[in-house]
Amino acid sequence: MNAHVRRTFYLFVAGFVALIGMLAYWQVYARESLANNPENGLQTRRAIESPRGLILARDGETVLARSVERPSESGNNPTYERVYPQGPLYAGVVGYWSTRYGATGIEIAENSNLSGNADPATLDELINQISGGPRPGNNVTLTIDPQLQRLAYELLAASNTGRGSVVAVDPKTGEILALVSHPSYDPNNIDDRFRELQQDPSQPLLNRATQGLYPPGSVFKVVTAAAALKSGVSPTAVFFDDGTYEQPGYTVTNYGGASYGRVTFAQALALSINTVFAQIAVEEVGRQLLYATARDFGFGSSYEEFPLEISASRLGEGNLAQIAFGQDTVLSNVFQMALVAATVANDGTMMEPHLVKEVRSPDGIIIERASPQREREVLDPQTAATLKEMMVGVVESGSATAAQIAGVEVAGKTGTAEVPPNAPHSWFIAFAPADDPRIAVAVLVENGGDGEKQALPIARQLIASYLDLPSRTAPQQNPAAPNLPEGLPQQLPGELQNLPQRLFGENGRP
Amino acid sequence: MTQRATTPMILALLVSTLGFATLIFVQEATSPPLIYGAYYAGTLFALYLAVRVILPHSDVLLLPIVTLLTGIGLVMIFRLTYDVEGVENLAITQAVWILIGSGALLLIVLLFRDYERLFDYKYLFALAAVALICLTFTPLGYEVNGARLWVRLGPVNFQPSEFARIALIIFYAGYLAEKRDLLAATSRSVLGVQIPSPKYFGPVALVWAVSLGLLVFERDLGSSLLFFAVPLLMLYVATGRLAYVIIGGLMFSGGAFATYLLFDHVRVRVQTWLDPWQNPDAEGFQILQSIFNIADGGITGTGLGAGFAQTIPEVHTDFIFSAIASELGLLGATAVLLAFLVFVYRGIKISLLAGDDASKLLAFGLTTMFALQTLIIVGGVTRLIPLTGITLPFVSYGGSSVVGNFILTGLLLVVSEKAGRRGPGKGAAR
Repeated sequence: MNAHVRRTFYLFVAGFVALIGMLAYWQVYARESLANNPENGLQTRRAIESPRGLILARDGETVLARSVERPSESGNNPTYERVYPQGPLYAGVVGYWSTRYGATGIEIAENSNLSGNADPATLDELINQISGGPRPGNNVTLTIDPQLQRLAYELLAASNTGRGSVVAVDPKTGEILALVSHPSYDPNNIDDRFRELQQDPSQPLLNRATQGLYPPGSVFKVVTAAAALKSGVSPTAVFFDDGTYEQPGYTVTNYGGASYGRVTFAQALALSINTVFAQIAVEEVGRQLLYATARDFGFGSSYEEFPLEISASRLGEGNLAQIAFGQDTVLSNVFQMALVAATVANDGTMMEPHLVKEVRSPDGIIIERASPQREREVLDPQTAATLKEMMVGVVESGSATAAQIAGVEVAGKTGTAEVPPNAPHSWFIAFAPADDPRIAVAVLVENGGDGEKQALPIARQLIASYLDLPSRTAPQQNPAAPNLPEGLPQQLPGELQNLPQRLFGENGRP
Repeated sequence: MTQRATTPMILALLVSTLGFATLIFVQEATSPPLIYGAYYAGTLFALYLAVRVILPHSDVLLLPIVTLLTGIGLVMIFRLTYDVEGVENLAITQAVWILIGSGALLLIVLLFRDYERLFDYKYLFALAAVALICLTFTPLGYEVNGARLWVRLGPVNFQPSEFARIALIIFYAGYLAEKRDLLAATSRSVLGVQIPSPKYFGPVALVWAVSLGLLVFERDLGSSLLFFAVPLLMLYVATGRLAYVIIGGLMFSGGAFATYLLFDHVRVRVQTWLDPWQNPDAEGFQILQSIFNIADGGITGTGLGAGFAQTIPEVHTDFIFSAIASELGLLGATAVLLAFLVFVYRGIKISLLAGDDASKLLAFGLTTMFALQTLIIVGGVTRLIPLTGITLPFVSYGGSSVVGNFILTGLLLVVSEKAGRRGPGKGAAR
């Protein structure tokens, strides 16, 4: 009988082990996904009872988001409210944080830090956590340069349509220096205006920098040119343009119906000659190499590590001759095109883009600090140098001469993406100084018209402004953390609201 | 040989005191909790000393575990119901139940040192058990949340099934010990499976069927499961025949499927278990809130008093474990589970050391019921198995449950006393 009693006991032990396993599953493995579940109201309850950490710009002083205590009506625990001192300027980066509509941007991506719910980093925090004492949120410092961000926002707002996006990157580190989407919204009153914003035809809730997909037009020729160089086409190779390139069922023409005669490959990029690029793509490069090159540049990737949600850029299965100059089924976002420029600038090595510079505990102790990470080598340095030279030519003697800045060598590429029946999208990508690049930028003005007229001047002013202030590129220290309200920990808000996502340019195939 | 567990006893009391102290600190509660704490500590320590004197050879380590579990339960119940708007303060009531339970344990220990006498009345116990469950069908019984589990006798409300269980285990232990050879020595085999003679198996099957049938109609799924599984495992231990477990398992599957088809409330339970997200605001609400709270605790917990377990309906009874997991985390909840496992281990040990079959079966049956009840309810609130509403022994709020489990502990103590007195020759209960 004893043997059977013992056997039954083993069964019970197995049962207890299974229970502990199940607990571990919920409390360790599934913890975060459950915390993020829209049905989970616990975090909202906790969230308003305690202050979140600060979100700061690169200088460590400009406050992008903070929590303020709201006097309680019934004399219970105080509740906190999120305040965005910069209003709509950083909405595309910081996002909003609402107990009703969930959170977006850095507010959600860095939530475990901001809410004080991250793993404890110091003994004090560990003791606090075990005793259930207050766990104030950590402060998150972004890589965004506040002056560049403001300038980009103002320039976009002043563009002819006022709709567009700017992304600026430090090509050597992958730090995002500016990320603007306009029109924007004021995250301070998201609760009151959310429905209205959702229905606004100008789509202020759409992050045009990361989630707006547009035909890139001629700025995509940089990718095609890279593929052509890889396939052995020399910058001095000569092509003939009679204004058309015949394809079965389709004829490629140049923008404005121009024809240029005998040109070199470098000139074809400088003058943005569609027919030559169509010919090179079809006859020299081929679909396979072009697509592989684009993939290396980041097309098809949604940059999972990046804190903001990125809609993957894509080439589609369209007409190769048109894809060569960024039309037909090519769709890209401004973020992606900024990385293309940055990669060429950085000798063909793409740096992993990042937006969070460092995370500090409320006492100022560094918890995380980003360091430049190589994403991958897209082009060998030789090819990259050649392409860089060609892009310098675009500004020196091509379609982008208006982008020249005295004393600085600028490399760039214009784009005018046709989206009939509307006015074309105006694009410009650039980096400078060409021999030692410190900034790469991509600008898009939706339906702005000619790339040279709208996007280019914005990029030029941003580069000029950024390079005029060399001191601001030095790493900033954040010696004394700003005073923080103290309080209980918090976590994710529920109700994640999906942003409206609309593909741009679908009606825009030429 | 004298059994001692004074150090564990003091540690168990310290844990509960620490719990109350934390609550005072975190919730800024004033002195009342200390008074409950003192009552509870005094009662249980007195009980411990009394048992030491009355049953010097018993496995007295059971009492520190009971103290730890009731203490954690009391702290949690206080935390979840004291001074909470719109919730009745249940900590005082629970403290009174612990007091009554301790009294019941003391009575068992005093009156039933010769517990073998109980086996002489085994059929009476079977009858009493069935009668107890039947009480709920009389006008005295009433329904709570769709299950007819409660009986009102004058000022006292109780759940008869909590006591019927123990009576049934006494019956099964006595009967199976008497007939185990006859039940094991089967002559007939059907399809290669040996089956017992109906003459000997009949009484077991009858009591089993009647109690189960009644519970199914009471809609008490958790108790039904216990009433099915405990006798089955006792039968297995008594006869040594795995065939019983296999046939029982098949019968259970068949029966479960039939009830699934027949009863809406069973279907809802199973569907809620499989996919609580389907109806997160209605049927799935309770289990989802439970899981959210458990997950919220993480490894180290939100801290006592800092969780939101009040979002779970009935958190102080069936779902008290979710509150523990939320506020004490994986570490605290695992510690509580291990305390349960130690209780089970001691119970099994008492069964192993007991001299005669009936005592072995009694200790085994009581321990099995305790173990299964813990596994079923914790499995339910963690969504390992479908949820069936039963209490977590000693921890959940509830008079019948607390008193019933104290009686169970008392019976284990008297069995262990006899086993321990047989001396170290056959192994003391240590």
